[in-house]
Amino acid sequence: MNSSHLAIRPLSRRRLLRGLGVGLALPMLECMNPVFGKSKVKPPHRMFLISNNLGVLPDPFFPTQAGGDYQLSPYLELLKDYRRDFTICSGLSHPAVSGGHSTENCFLTGAKDPTGSGFRNTQSLDQYAVEKLGQQTRFPTFNLGINISKGLRSLSWTRDGILLPAEDSPAALFRRMFVQGSAGEQQRRLQQLRERGSILDAINDDMRRFQKGVGQNDRERLDQYFTSVRDLEQRLHAAGEWERKPRPKTDRKPPKDIPQRDKFFPKLDLMLSMAKLALESDSTRIITLMVDAFATPVFDIEEKLRSLTGYHNLSHHGQDKRKIAQLEKVDRRQMESLKKLFDDLAAVPDSGARLLDHTMVLYGSNMGDANVHNNTNLPILLCGGGFKHGQHLTFDQHHNKPLANLFVSMLQQMGVEAEKFSSSTGTLTGLESKA
Amino acid sequence: MLERHCADCHDEDTEKGGLSLLELKLELADRTNRERWILIHDRIEKKEMPPKVEKLPSQQRARMLGLLSEMIRQADAADIQANGRGPLRRLTRDEYEATLRDLLMLPNLDVRDRLPEDRRSHGFTKVSALLDMSHVQLNAYLEAAETALLKAVASGMNPPKKIHYRATGTDLFPALTTFGEREAMFFARDGQAVSINNSAYAKWTPEQRKDPTLELALFRSATWPYYGYPRGFRAPRDGEYRVRFSGRAVRQLRDYRIVPAYRPLAMSFRARKTSGPDVSGDVRETGGWMDLQPERKEFETIVLLKKGETFEYSLLGLPVPFIRTDGGFFYDYPPMPPDGHRGAAFQWLEVEGPISGNDWPPASHRVLFGNLPIGPPTKGSQLGVSVVSRNPVADAKRLLRRFANRFSKSKNTDLATYEGLIAKRLNAGMPFADAMLKGFQAFLCSGHFLYLREPIDSRTASTRMAALFWNSVPGQSVDMKRMLVDPRAQRFIDTFTDEWLDLRHLGRDEADLRLYPEYRKDDYLVASLGRETREFFQTLIRENLSITNLVQSEFTFVNDKLAEHYGLPRVHGSAMRRMKLPPGSPYGGLLTQGAIMKVTADGTSTSPVLRGAWVMEKLVGQPPPPPPKMVTGIEPDVRGATTIREILKRHAKDKSCAACHARFDPVGLALENFDVMGAWRFRYRSWSKGEKVTGIDRAGHPYMYHVASRIDASGKLLSGESFEDVRALKKILAAKPRQLARNFVNQLTIHATGTPVRFSERAAVERVLDRCAERDYPMRDLIMEFVASRIFARVNDE
Repeated sequence: MNSSHLAIRPLSRRRLLRGLGVGLALPMLECMNPVFGKSKVKPPHRMFLISNNLGVLPDPFFPTQAGGDYQLSPYLELLKDYRRDFTICSGLSHPAVSGGHSTENCFLTGAKDPTGSGFRNTQSLDQYAVEKLGQQTRFPTFNLGINISKGLRSLSWTRDGILLPAEDSPAALFRRMFVQGSAGEQQRRLQQLRERGSILDAINDDMRRFQKGVGQNDRERLDQYFTSVRDLEQRLHAAGEWERKPRPKTDRKPPKDIPQRDKFFPKLDLMLSMAKLALESDSTRIITLMVDAFATPVFDIEEKLRSLTGYHNLSHHGQDKRKIAQLEKVDRRQMESLKKLFDDLAAVPDSGARLLDHTMVLYGSNMGDANVHNNTNLPILLCGGGFKHGQHLTFDQHHNKPLANLFVSMLQQMGVEAEKFSSSTGTLTGLESKA
Repeated sequence: MLERHCADCHDEDTEKGGLSLLELKLELADRTNRERWILIHDRIEKKEMPPKVEKLPSQQRARMLGLLSEMIRQADAADIQANGRGPLRRLTRDEYEATLRDLLMLPNLDVRDRLPEDRRSHGFTKVSALLDMSHVQLNAYLEAAETALLKAVASGMNPPKKIHYRATGTDLFPALTTFGEREAMFFARDGQAVSINNSAYAKWTPEQRKDPTLELALFRSATWPYYGYPRGFRAPRDGEYRVRFSGRAVRQLRDYRIVPAYRPLAMSFRARKTSGPDVSGDVRETGGWMDLQPERKEFETIVLLKKGETFEYSLLGLPVPFIRTDGGFFYDYPPMPPDGHRGAAFQWLEVEGPISGNDWPPASHRVLFGNLPIGPPTKGSQLGVSVVSRNPVADAKRLLRRFANRFSKSKNTDLATYEGLIAKRLNAGMPFADAMLKGFQAFLCSGHFLYLREPIDSRTASTRMAALFWNSVPGQSVDMKRMLVDPRAQRFIDTFTDEWLDLRHLGRDEADLRLYPEYRKDDYLVASLGRETREFFQTLIRENLSITNLVQSEFTFVNDKLAEHYGLPRVHGSAMRRMKLPPGSPYGGLLTQGAIMKVTADGTSTSPVLRGAWVMEKLVGQPPPPPPKMVTGIEPDVRGATTIREILKRHAKDKSCAACHARFDPVGLALENFDVMGAWRFRYRSWSKGEKVTGIDRAGHPYMYHVASRIDASGKLLSGESFEDVRALKKILAAKPRQLARNFVNQLTIHATGTPVRFSERAAVERVLDRCAERDYPMRDLIMEFVASRIFARVNDE
């Protein structure tokens, strides 16, 4: 474990356990200021992973030239202020992840053949990162969704392939971030942590007995066990600290949920602003957002313009010119939402830089071309997060590079010592960190 | 002697291969030093060093090896004496799950995937040195143990209520049409499709909807896009459900007519969530394979479902419709074959469940709480029942001991820590059952539970045996023969073939759709390949057949699909059956089974390099050294411009390549007649060169590929033998049964003990082989002799 991430000083085992039982006086988190602004500790990295499960029209999205001096595509023209802050990738996909819309479950996991008979999903990027980094913030991750059927759609999956339901209510998110829970609830959670702590205590004691009489060869194995117990205790302790800390404050008024599915863009914008608030208040550092275009019925593209059909049907344009024209409008409007998010993240100062510089925003889709249910050549845009940006990275259109290579680069940027994730074959060639 | 023969190259100036013999000390008590000397010994023994064989006359070679090996042997044996032959081994996640299943009597417990994947060495997971512990791992154990225990406790005062569901008529399917239109599915009456439109259907009464004279006729596989489950059924909770149904195999003729099929049709079910069209989510085959017959028949099976799941009809090996976007958007279906489309018709379907045993509370509950009575749940407890104890402290002690003894026969496991843990909770007012679970949970994450030691007596030797054959604990101590006939021995077959023979990769690469359109989405073929190899391997053990069957055999196992795939006489049905191979057949023996050919190819092309290296490592036991770092691998040219043989000539030309590649390239070339799925071929396919072949594939997709050059599978082994094709190669390999047997014992040693054969145990391996030599190295005898050897357990007398 990399203890610098926990930012707590080393404590003895006993003290740690005691810490779970009695309230420790901890410094209040200075929420609305950059958390690490005044210390010399390196600012933490964050990631915000967004997927629209119908993607975008490929032609107006992808630039035609490669490298640093590429000409912005019509869609990217809308993000031109951030040209130096993002990288656009073409020729990426998850190998052997095909099966049309079912691949939406694999966007952050890369699990193969999602319609095959033995399919089981695997751990998503966000959960993998949290597992490796430990709980650094009050919420290990936020998993969000727009127009999702709650409990059925999410980008986030546990190690054993269980869906982690996404939150689709901005109001509920706001409450979780800024409104203190009931004392009873808090006590219950602390009690759970204490239980876990005392089990660790017991197995640790018993291991001492077990180790008697083992050979030299085995010492190393046993040391691993003892270290694991200690590491886990530290993590429990950190989780306990978070339970006791008061919530941060914000000037922002609690948002009102927008229940109507046809208000697609207002919903998207509201959720993006909640995500920004979460990052700014350091409530979490890892966010996923599934934009469930698939489940979006006939909707407002802009004021006084309704879509001809539901979003899914629209995406199967079948070369119908009217549908394509509408889809272009939809995609452009989405780019504007993305630009607003970049604007917001760029406006927050963070350790002498912008919050955007420490936040990797990934925007992409599991669909390369929804019209024909293609799951290769996925649209992938990565903004911010301290990479050398401003380029169009191109990979073979017929033999795509694994998207998971990008994930490995991102994990390393987060400070996770990972060399492999899912189907990766390395890091993403051509994407370099600034530091 | 070393100085005289070796120091020219291996001195401190030249240091060829990074070795300077003058600087390398002879300190064999040090493990790293010893390992280097073992390497030196082996290279001299294999006559790889010195590079010019004649530089070291055989008499001197033998003397040198004799001296060196005796010194290493003594040092290695002393090390084993002092420290054991390998470190403690943590359970793999397969073992953790299997052990919990057996211990808690929860045969369907599903916790394996909660644990991080175990690292591998040469495919094996049960390798002591790699089975690390970390906080992530430990936390995962805590959660897996908790999940398992909560499942074990009775869910309520009474067994869960069974539901009874029956579907007939249009309730047999969730919609009136599916992707692929009427070619893919319709409702029929008297063998003729009935057209039902949505607006008429909306007005139908429930009786009309359930009209038992309607049949559901289905002609496509359950591959996306699809959602073919009975209307309105969902499992109310996790569990097993009994499914009964009536169905028949049919053919669809023109005008949407159905008539009895010519041959049976295999089917299964797939558990899944109800998620509407277009999205499938997790799908899991369940209920086994069943063969629908041309005449109506009733079937009964058991499906395993999670709460909220349903199950869909999964017809095996049928086409999947193709999405067309030229001129709109629709699903196309392949053209009708002369005999019509194969399909199934269903008349009714019933579900009943969840199935629970006759006893309540269930067996899993009694493992934890014995015969203590259950009561209504206590407030604040997360359990569905309470457990009533008059004397909680004494009961806790007794039940804990009972539980620990089920796991291990050792009476001296000190349980004081866990007793204390429970007692403290009881004192704090925690309900009895909840407090007990904490104690059990801790025990399931303790060193006693998670680690296996080197066997020190017959009890611990049987623990190792149970870990080998069952991935679990021995329970009542039994001997090896009985362990092998127990149903749990299937876990050994599955794990060992997954890891030794790489069968876990069977689903890895889909065949390239451009080159191999006939394999498009053919899950049935891939699954059949896996069954063939497993069944074959199991038969070798059960019937105690010679090790030579690994490379050459007179029989194999096939079903309808595989017989067709291999070009063998036609058989009916999905069940694997033994088939004596016709004379001259290239099949027979693991070496050429489709599963092996598939895992050694990448779906697009076959590489003799990879296949050859695989055979040498996995079957012959002469793994090639890893390729030099700076060399890029060769890639077959799928455009068809050059043949692989021409490309491989580069290996022969370059001396530094040739030294190793000559050992395995020829073996791989002999296997070139097998395509990426193991079907026999005379010529390569390519994307652009050769004769053009076009058509429409099993999913209705138009295809085009080229048939290029003829395959030449002849070659010459480094040892001098030449062969014309794979049949001759098999004879050459089968002529060295001892080598095959030695490799098998070596592979088994890693899997069974977590540590490869030690230097000082090499003689013991030879003794195992000696005992089996007379009968041509029968497989079960090899395993039995190995288990009885001191390699498996030092307590074994020899």
